[in-house]
Amino acid sequence: MSRARALGLLEAFGLVYVLEAADAMMKTADVELVGYENVASGYISVLIQGDVSACQAAVESGVAAIKAMGGEVYSSVVIPSPHPDLAKITKRYALKSLLPA
Amino acid sequence: MSQQFKENMRMRYYGENALGLIETVGMVPALYASDMMLKAADVELISYENIGSTLVTVMVKGDVAAVSAAVEVGAKAAASIGTLTAQNVMARPIPGVGDIVSCHDIDVE
Repeated sequence: MSRARALGLLEAFGLVYVLEAADAMMKTADVELVGYENVASGYISVLIQGDVSACQAAVESGVAAIKAMGGEVYSSVVIPSPHPDLAKITKRYALKSLLPA
Repeated sequence: MSQQFKENMRMRYYGENALGLIETVGMVPALYASDMMLKAADVELISYENIGSTLVTVMVKGDVAAVSAAVEVGAKAAASIGTLTAQNVMARPIPGVGDIVSCHDIDVE
């Protein structure tokens, strides 16, 4: 994975909310879905990448989408020009490695 | 130290450097804390572990001063967007602790 310009992260409780948020994020701005992780006990995260402003807009709309459904967003953040070593963590959740062959 | 040299010297952690730990609820604060730690001081990401029950731990190594500075910044970052459950700087861990840390080595596929 080439170095992302910005990384957008969002975490909520339950797959239903997270899928809704991922849908809203990718429809809002020009961002690419990097990966997804079932953290544990219902905590699920989605990771996107793109330009800083695109990631900010996307994460904002993702948070709004979850709140509109009455769900709770545990945490969300946009990391501009993430440190290259973060890829060591994010690559574990890359969709490429999660999808069935 | 060149990036290439760093790539070649990937090896186990034996507790030769100070160890910095940050534990958060969920992975988003953990990733944010990692980013801030790596940018704040000359530390290296060595381990990442999703323990379960939503706890996620990230570990860095380096000089005591660098690790202390990094953990301080990382803990603040994690607490600003989520829940920080623990932070610690182990100045000189015993080799056995290094073995435990190495079980979750970030460079091992």
